[in-house]
Parts: sequence; C-alpha cells; structure tokens
Amino acid sequence: MTLLNIDNLHVKLEDEDRDIIRGLSLTVNPGEVHAIMGPNGSGKSTLSYVLAGREGYEVTEGSVTFKGEDLLEMSPDERAAKGVFLAFQYPIEIPGVATMQFLKVALNAQRKARGEKELSTPDFMRLVKDRAAKLNVSQDMLKRPVNVGFSGGEKKRAEILQMAVLEPSLCILDETDSGLDIDALRVVADGVNALRSPDRGMIVITHYQRLLDYIVPDFVHVLSKGRIVKSGDKSLALELEEKGYAEFTQDAA
Amino acid sequence: MSTALARTAAEEALGFQLPNRRMEDWRWTDLRQLIDKPYPPRQKVVAKSADVDRLLASSLFSGVAATRMVFVNGEYDATHSKQANGWVESTAALDDPVNLMNVAFATDGARLRIEGNVDTPIELVFISTDAAPRTVATRNVIEIADDASATIIETHVGEGSYLANSVMEIRIGHNARLDRIKVELESHDAVHLAHAHVIVGQNVTFRDFTLTTGAKLNRQNGTFRFIGEFADAKISGAYLLAGKQHADTALVVDHEVPNCASRELFKCVMDDHARGIFQGKVIVRPGAQKTDGKQSSHALLLTETAEFDAKPELEIYADDVACGHGATSGDLNHDHVFYLKSRGIPEAEAKALLIAAFVGEAFDTVHHDGIREALAVFAERWLTEHRRKG
Repeated sequence: MTLLNIDNLHVKLEDEDRDIIRGLSLTVNPGEVHAIMGPNGSGKSTLSYVLAGREGYEVTEGSVTFKGEDLLEMSPDERAAKGVFLAFQYPIEIPGVATMQFLKVALNAQRKARGEKELSTPDFMRLVKDRAAKLNVSQDMLKRPVNVGFSGGEKKRAEILQMAVLEPSLCILDETDSGLDIDALRVVADGVNALRSPDRGMIVITHYQRLLDYIVPDFVHVLSKGRIVKSGDKSLALELEEKGYAEFTQDAA
Repeated sequence: MSTALARTAAEEALGFQLPNRRMEDWRWTDLRQLIDKPYPPRQKVVAKSADVDRLLASSLFSGVAATRMVFVNGEYDATHSKQANGWVESTAALDDPVNLMNVAFATDGARLRIEGNVDTPIELVFISTDAAPRTVATRNVIEIADDASATIIETHVGEGSYLANSVMEIRIGHNARLDRIKVELESHDAVHLAHAHVIVGQNVTFRDFTLTTGAKLNRQNGTFRFIGEFADAKISGAYLLAGKQHADTALVVDHEVPNCASRELFKCVMDDHARGIFQGKVIVRPGAQKTDGKQSSHALLLTETAEFDAKPELEIYADDVACGHGATSGDLNHDHVFYLKSRGIPEAEAKALLIAAFVGEAFDTVHHDGIREALAVFAERWLTEHRRKG
C-alpha cells in the first residue's frame, strides 16, 4: 500500500492570501527515500509543517492521504501515533522537561493511542540506551532538559534519537544537515541510514546536495515556488549542485 | 449610615474591621468584599475519625516517611499524631490584620523546639472537617536551636466552608538549617489567611517553599528578618489556581544586617478566571552592606480571563548591595506545545507537562527528594484533574 499520497496540494498561511504550496503532488511508498531540494522560499519547510500538522496553515485545495487515511483531518499527536515523524530544522528547546522523561511520555502516549501496552521503565531504559549509544548521545544529554543547552549537532542527533526510539513509518527530515560539520553530518546520516527499512518511507528536505552523499535517495524532486518542477534519480541532485536552482526559479516564474 | 462604615456580617461575627482595598497592602484583596458571610470564631467542632483519616490521606506527602503532628478543627489530635506537642512562647509582635485575628481566635497550634539534626521530616497537618462555616485558627511557634537542622512540612486540608487562619512563627538559631514546605490544599469553599514570621539567625541556610492550590480565597503574608550575618534564604512558591480562585502573597524580606543573601522565586499558573497576586518587598536597612537580594515572579495565564498582578518593591538604605527584581507573565509557548504534540503527546498531556516544568523550577529549593517528587507528581496531574472536575 502507498504510504503517503499528496495530491494537488495548495497551502497558504492562515493570515495571508498568497499560496505557498501550489499544486504539489508526491507519492511515497514504503522503503523509498525521496529527497526534496529547492531554493529558499520554495515551500520546503511549509510542506514539512503541513504534514506534521502545525497550526497557522490552511489547505485550500488538494489532499494528503497517509496509509489510506486523510492525514489533514488528524491532530499532530494522532499523526505521530500513526507513524509520521518530523525531524525539525530548528529543534525546540523545552526547559524543565528532561529528555528521558519526554521520550518516555511520547513513546507511551503513542503506544497507548495505538492500543499497545505501555513500556515498563526498565524496558524503556534499555531501548533508549541502545539507540543513544549508536548516535553518540550521552547519558548526560538524556538527563538534560529537551534540547536546552545542546549544540547544533547535539540537537540534530537528539532528533534522530527520538526517531530511532519512536520508530515512525514516515520520517520527514527538514534540513537536517543545516548547521552540521562533516563529522556530525556523518553521525546523523548513519543514524538515518540505520533506520532505512523496506516498510519505512523517508522525505529528506535539503538545500544542498551534500547530505545526499550520505543518505542516498531513490528519488530527487526539485521544489520551486510551491510545486515539484522536476523529478529524477540521485543524479538530479548532482546536476543541481553544478548548475544551481536558477533554471527552475526562472522557468516557474 | 453609609455602607462603608457599616460593619459587614463577617465583621460582626469576628468583632473586627476587615482589611480593605484602601489599605495599600490589601488593594487587590479586599476582604470586606471578598468575605461574604460570617465565620464565627472558637466554635467547637468534633470530627469523625473517618473524616480525619480521609483528609489525612489527601496530603501530598502521605507516601513520604514523616513524623506527623495533626491538628483537627484547630486542636491538637493526639490519636493521629506521632509527634507530641511542646511549648515555645510566641514572641512576634505583628500588627497586621491576619495576625490580630489570630491572636484573638487561635485555639491551639504546634509549639516545637528542634535540637540537633532531625533527618525525618516533620509534617504538621491542619485539618478542617465539614461543619457550619466558622473560623479555625492556629498559632504555631517553632524554634530551631543553634546548629540544628530540620525539614518541616505544613499541609492544610479541609472540606466544606470555613476560614482558616494560620500564623507560623519561626526562629532559626545560628548555624542552623531549616527547609520549610507548605502546601495549601484547603477546601475550594474555604478562605485561607496566613502569616509566616521567620527570624533568620547568623550563618543560617533557610529554604521556604509554598504551594498554593486550594481555597477560594487565599492571602499569605510572609515576614523574613535577617538578624545575623552570612545567612542565606531562598523563598519560593508556586500557584496552581483555577475556577475563580484568588491568591495573594505579600512578602517582606528584611535585611537588617550585612552579608546576607535572599532569593525569591514565584511561579504562578492561573486557569479559567483565577487571579494571582504577588507582592514582594525587599528592605535593606542602613549598614546592611553586601546584601544580595533578588526577587522574581513569573506567571502563566492559561486563559484570557485569568489575571496576575505583581508588585515588587525595593527599599534600600545601604549603598554597597546587589538587589533586583523581575516579573513576567504570558501564555504557554505554542511552539513547545506543537513540538510535544508532534511526538505523539496529546494536547492536554503536553500542556500538563509544560505546566509542571514551569512550576518545577520553584521546587528546586526543596532538598528532600521524596517531597520534591510528590510536588512534581501533583503539578503534572493538576491540569487534567481540575478540568475533569470542572
């Protein structure tokens, strides 16, 4: 079954009249990694927020179906429980909520929503320790409040850790490479690659080709002015790196 | 006769002129208007043992190993107490209305002198059982000897309609340490008026935390006097208020001597039509150099109709001091709520978590892990519990 089907999606900001997403269609099947590339202002982050269910956006036309259900009808927490995960470009700092506690509340809320048994504390601790070790996330980071005082690299690793613990079926990575040096990028990419599986789909949103050297996509789409103007395989990313986005921004105008 | 001069029914029963908004300290809490019925004092009410047991179990700390001392309807209850009462003379000469009422109406109270290091917390539980509206007043005097240390919890619980008046005089000797934790969990049909008068000796470490979440009307005064050098006091509090609850805390931190440090931190959450007030005055007397006194209050307003008023005051008569104050108020951060929801946490649970995190900062002054944990659990459940009850 198709994992995600976006059909002719039009989105505007609630308090503005201009559409940001203008007729975007995309199908993601389980096991596929789709890269979405595009210049600033092309609607990349808007797309990720609309899929995650952030307030402030209005869908004026089109539909989004996730595992056969209308995704747009669901609240953000329902989407998460069904398997949607957005790795934020700028992960939010939450003072006073320890990372470990946050992960536990989130995982058990999702399990509860799916009618599964909540995980016991020892089982949960084992799961997190195992996943954290693979991502170089220290015990100290897990004790600290969510993202508070984390470096850019630590925040991105913490996002991937959340993904590894929550095991979503659709991962949306919004500019996960931004602010990372090459070593941090490798750790994050390894973490993402470890999560690639035949029943999990991924949308990797990025401005630069660099990330795609590490997370090799099955498909590359060019987003410009709110719609996909060209699709291809990974070679399209290299082409973009060479020629830039000028061709697409002019064509779309 | 004009209404302003007419005694209210409440005043008639009390024999007192109640504080009103024309008194600067009471501008937000006009008892003449807010106390709408008589609460006659010194009414003997015999409680059913089952009621006492039930209310005792509602203490947040029933799971914490503590030496309990129980007062029921204003009188020491030996059956439910592990700690025997003693006698320490009251010495505070306070002229505020809460104290005057207390002097006139108090029927009993804890009188304890603590010596040495007392590891097990002492919990004073003040219980008011359901009966005809009345004033229930206790006057408590606690003396912490030089070099002694203790953790004292004060839990105020009740059912039905009453006015609780609680005065706590505390004298902390040199080199002593006291952690005081107060939980105001009165009946939602009750009025809670309190005054804590604390004298802080030389080289003392004092931690004071108050959770205000019960009672329809709450006014808590605090007077903290530094009388010996090199003492350190942290005074913190949290409000979790809903419905039409009204809570007003008025503190005076008085640096009479040099080289002391005081910190005040209040984290206040107001839902529905609740109203919170924080008035904090720091006085630095002439010659109290090197005083380090800071005060802050932060409010979280969960609705448009909730309200918070803050009145910080600094009175400084010395020139080599570091004093400051800050106050903020706002709504829950929408980005925080969205982030938690995007990880599968339902909205109500996400908000509850953020509220607990917000007030949690004020729990940090509490050393005892079990007590802090019990406070955190209560804070996490508060939002959903009170909204479920309506």
